[in-house]
Formats: sequence, structure tokens, C-alpha cells
Amino acid sequence: MKNKSSYSVPEGYFEDLQRRLSGIPAREPRRTAVRRLTPYLALAASFALIVAVGTAVLRKTVPPVASEQEIIEYLIDSDMTLAQIIDYLP
Amino acid sequence: MQDSEFNDIVREYSEPLYWHIRGIVNSHEDADDILQDTFVKIWRSLPDFRGESAVSTWVWRIATNEALSFLRKRRVRAMLQFKSIDEQAERTVSGDPWFNGDEAARKLSVAIAKLPDKQRAVFHMRYYEEMPYEQIAEITGTSVGALKASYHIAQKKIKEQLNLL
Repeated sequence: MKNKSSYSVPEGYFEDLQRRLSGIPAREPRRTAVRRLTPYLALAASFALIVAVGTAVLRKTVPPVASEQEIIEYLIDSDMTLAQIIDYLP
Repeated sequence: MQDSEFNDIVREYSEPLYWHIRGIVNSHEDADDILQDTFVKIWRSLPDFRGESAVSTWVWRIATNEALSFLRKRRVRAMLQFKSIDEQAERTVSGDPWFNGDEAARKLSVAIAKLPDKQRAVFHMRYYEEMPYEQIAEITGTSVGALKASYHIAQKKIKEQLNLL
């Protein structure tokens, strides 16, 4: 490097540095596959929980929709003519 | 097996990476801390390294990202404390007991320290480490054209700064 001469380091720094860096494997545990996947699993679990809670809330709060058969029964029981009922049907 | 690979990387790259980081952050103490963090990252990422790029490019990328992340945090801290970033750059160079260049070298270091972080890293790799643009592009994930433009702008800013200092 061109400008190394402008900078200096404490005496014996690089020897000590190599010794310190070589000690990293002993003191830094590697993250296992499970630990690496944990954040993604947590995210997936949170998403599933939100969907489950959301579905339960909707089921409790939104009134049930009548089936097509129930609508037809209702229209037949009403005083409407056949022509009017046909107009209502999909 | 990976212990010996890691130790080979330490033997081969610890000193050049130190100078690379030192050139970006200036201070010896900061460079030492960032280098430690860099090698912890290298150790943790070694099982995932698939050799898609050269080992040197890979380790330089990690070191550059660590140095830039450090500078970003320092910049944010300075802004939150309403401190001038230019003054801080000058203080970092002038206050480093392990800087022993002459006045011209000090002025040049201050001018470089005032560049935006990524531009400074690019300038350092190109000017001081004499790295080809293609390699800098691989390390920084920036196109060669953008790097050439960045280097040109950095040179211009440094000249202007040197005239002011």
C-alpha cells in the first residue's frame, strides 16, 4: 500500500494480532443450521398465528352468508312472481 | 479442517486487511476493532463460502462492509450529537498517535477522510491499494462505470480540499 509509511502500529502488533485472531474459532461458537433457521421459523410461525387469529375473528364477527338454495327458498316463499325470481337468480 | 482454512486466511490476509481497513477509517484503534469483527464474520461465514468468488475478494468484501458499517454508525452518532462530520474527520487523523506522516500527508489524509464513506473506500482501493476496477466492482457490488465516475469525483474533491487546507 502506497501510504503505509504515513501510518504506524504498536511494536509487535501484527504478531499479537495473528495470535488473537487465531483464537477466534475457540471462543466464537458457530451458528448451527437450526439456529440459523430460527428467525425464519419464527417469522413463519408469526404469520401462521396472524392468519389463524384473523380467521377466527372473522368467523366470530361476520354474519354467515346464505347459500344459493336458501336464497331460492326465500324468494319462492315471498310474494314474487316467477319472472321476478328468475331476474334475481345468477 | 475449517480451523486450518481459517488460520490460513488469518496468516495470509490479516496484515493486508488491517491496512485496507486502516486506510478507510484512519484510526489504529478503530481499525483493530473492525478487523476483529471482520475475522469473526469470516469464521462464521466460512461454511457458507462456496468459492463463487476468490477468497481475497470475499474477505475484502466483508472487511469493506464492516468498515463502511462502522463509518455509518459514527456518522449517525455525530449527527445526533450535532457534531460537524468534517471536524470529526480532522480530529480522527490529527488525534491518531499512530499517524506519523508529514504535514502534506496529514492534509491528504484529512481531505480523504472528508469524502463520503463509500467514495472514500473506493478511492482507497484504487489509489492506495492499486486494485483494478473490476475487482473493486466485485467487492462493492458497483458497476465499473460508476466506480470510475466515483473515483474521478473523489480526485476532484480532494484537490479542492487541499487548496482549502
